[in-house]
Amino acid sequence: HLSMANPMSYNGGCVMAMKGRNCVAIASDLRFGVQMQTISMEFDKVQQMGPRLFVGFPGLATDTQTVFQRMQFRKNLYELRENKSVRPQTLMNMISNLLYERRFGPYFVEPVVAGLDPISLEPYVATMDLIGCPMEPEDFVVSGTCTEQMFGMCETLWQPDMSPDELFECISQAMLNAFDRDAASGWGCHVYLIERDQVTVRALKARMD
Amino acid sequence: PTELPQPVKHGLQSGNLRINFNHGTTCLAFKYSNGIVVSVDSRASAGAYIASGTVKKVIEINPFLLGTMAGGAADCQFWQRVLSQECWLYELRNKERISVAAASKLLANILYNYKGYGLSIGTMIVGWDKKGPGLYYVDDDGTRHSGNLFAVGSGSTYAYGVLDTCYRWDMTDDEALELGRRAIYHATYRDIGSGNSNNLYLVKPDGWKFIGNYDTANLHYQYNPVAAE
Repeated sequence: HLSMANPMSYNGGCVMAMKGRNCVAIASDLRFGVQMQTISMEFDKVQQMGPRLFVGFPGLATDTQTVFQRMQFRKNLYELRENKSVRPQTLMNMISNLLYERRFGPYFVEPVVAGLDPISLEPYVATMDLIGCPMEPEDFVVSGTCTEQMFGMCETLWQPDMSPDELFECISQAMLNAFDRDAASGWGCHVYLIERDQVTVRALKARMD
Repeated sequence: PTELPQPVKHGLQSGNLRINFNHGTTCLAFKYSNGIVVSVDSRASAGAYIASGTVKKVIEINPFLLGTMAGGAADCQFWQRVLSQECWLYELRNKERISVAAASKLLANILYNYKGYGLSIGTMIVGWDKKGPGLYYVDDDGTRHSGNLFAVGSGSTYAYGVLDTCYRWDMTDDEALELGRRAIYHATYRDIGSGNSNNLYLVKPDGWKFIGNYDTANLHYQYNPVAAE
């Protein structure tokens, strides 16, 4: 078959995050495949890194795992030294730094950070490219093999100041309809809704083709 | 400036960007005691982008002949329409319907003339003539094979797994149709190039009949019911 081709689309997958009123949501598809074959439908690209802090790493699956594990290590040391929970902005900068360390042989992931500030509970979302250039917009971030589709859905559906229920509905519809137009993403979806006093994770009923 | 897309094997290439035509599909057909089942998916992918989920990959050549589409959609549609024209001319000249063997040979000879030009066609010509059921696999290399069971496309390996396990010559119509549906469903589940829906046809001595269009998402939850909490 084809050799490595494009590392960013070798395994497929997508992640998006959105801000709401005193809440954030982050969602990931569940496909893990190798080029045209789908191998697992349980590969969630979003991991928890704090009580109200989640990170998603779409891209090459091996780097998804490695970057998450190396970030865990650095975040743990940070929290031991600083004796406090890491803020989302700080974590984003740490990831950016980790990726730029590999400027000339990068990790093939384009991470998404979503969370609430531990003290002020301010919503935060961010993404960056594979060498760590950060983007911290006011509305939503997308990353993966179907970014064009996801941008189209988010631009249409997102509004500022949505309640948690509205935000859940918005991000779910945006994800489902975006990755249904991408052959390399899908096969299920997990949506994480992060509020001040609870985090809810829901599995969406999706097309399995 | 971008490069003009150049034909490469099974696709087009412009610089680093490559669109593969050939692979995104699953089509299958098999003979059994009472007829022939033709079952196909309906996804058209341009690279990883799903361009359409409602493609008709079974081409109705005439009321007794069907052709399946794998490879370049334009190539398949155009040349199978040319085949319809030739089959109609045959009927006019010979006052009898063309056989499946002759129809498939007409197409195979046309494709052989264009060998090396970059056409992308992997098709099955299916029909019923006075010799009984006919099923031929024809492709852009000029290959033409007769057989009892074929699966074509990127999802064909998954379809073969299901077909080879459950296929028997002696089946009822319902069993055969269910096998065709199941095989396509399993291909859409694992292959990213196949999906969206399944179009089922049944070919009998009096011609083909369209059985139905089945959304593969619904098929998944039918075969794997989610237990209510």
